[in-house]
Amino acid sequence: MSRESMEQELVSIPIIVDVPYKFAAGHYMSRFLLELRDNGKFYGIRCPVCKRVQLPPRVVCAVCHVKNDEWVELANEGTLTAFTVMYLPVTDPTTGKPHEPPLVYGSVKLDGADSMLNHFINVEADRDKVWVGMRMRTVLRPKEQRIGDLSDIIHFEPLEGQKNPEK
Amino acid sequence: MAEDKIYGPFEVDQHITAHSIYYAGKMGSRFYTTLRDEQKILGVRCEKCNKVYWPPRTTCGRCFSQLSEDDLVEIGPTGTLETYTLVTYTEPVHPRKAPFIYGIIKLDGADTGMAHFIDEVDYTQLHVGMRMQPVFAEERKANILDIAYFKPA
Repeated sequence: MSRESMEQELVSIPIIVDVPYKFAAGHYMSRFLLELRDNGKFYGIRCPVCKRVQLPPRVVCAVCHVKNDEWVELANEGTLTAFTVMYLPVTDPTTGKPHEPPLVYGSVKLDGADSMLNHFINVEADRDKVWVGMRMRTVLRPKEQRIGDLSDIIHFEPLEGQKNPEK
Repeated sequence: MAEDKIYGPFEVDQHITAHSIYYAGKMGSRFYTTLRDEQKILGVRCEKCNKVYWPPRTTCGRCFSQLSEDDLVEIGPTGTLETYTLVTYTEPVHPRKAPFIYGIIKLDGADTGMAHFIDEVDYTQLHVGMRMQPVFAEERKANILDIAYFKPA
C-alpha cells in the first residue's frame, strides 16, 4: 500500500433503520391490551379443565387443548419468582439505544395468575436488596400515554417496608 | 367488567430501531471522497474480465482477482437509462415521499448500473435507453446523495 493511501480519509456513514409495523393482537390479546391501556388492569384466562390462569391470555390451553373462556381479573401486585442482575447493556429495540447497566430483570407472578410476566425491576442492582418471594407492583405509564402494548408497563417496583428474609 | 362489553380487533403500532455504521472501506472511501471533492464518479476495472464495476470494490465478483486503487477509473458522469419505475405510495422506509422515480443508470464506461432518483422529467417522457446526467448536490457530505438525482441529458 502506498504512503498516500495509508493516510487516506476513510468514510463511514451512520445509518438508522426505523421499521414501523402494526401488530394485530387477535381476539384475546386485543381484550387484554385494551383493558391494560384503558383501565390499567390485567386480565388472565382460566382453563376450564386444569384451572390454571394464563397470562397473556391464549384462546387454547396449551396443556389441555381446550378452549379457554373464563376471564379473570388479576391484581396489579405479585411475587418475584426469579431475577437476574444484568451487567451488560441491553438494546431497547424501540429506540436502538442501550439500557444502561446494571439492571435487574425478573419474572413476577401476578396474584391470581399461574404464569409470569418478565420485566425490569426498579430496584438497586444489589443482590441483598432483591430476592425471590419479594412482593412487587406494576408501574404503568400515565393513562394518556398508554398505547396498548407491554411497554405500557414501565417496570415492577417493590412494595414498601419489606425485609430480605435471608439477611 | 360488564360481560357484554365489545372488544374490537386491535392493532398496536410498533417499531424497531437499529443504529449501525456503514464503513465504506478503502475503495468505497476513495469513491465517496472523490465524489465529494471533485464531483467525479469512480468505478473499478478488472483487467482479466475487462469489466468496470460500480461501486468500486477490492475483489472482482467474476474472477476473484484482487483489485487495487490503481484499477480505479473515472466513469460517467453521463449514462444510459436501463430501467425505471414510478413509486406511487409512501412507505416510512423510503428515503422520499411519493411520488418519485427510481431508475437504474449504466454510466458511460461502466458495466454495472447505479440505482438513483430521477427528477426534472415527466414519467411518461422516460424511456429505456434515454441519456441521463447527474445533478450534484450543492453541499456534499461523502455519501451517495452527493449525487442529488439524475435528469435527462
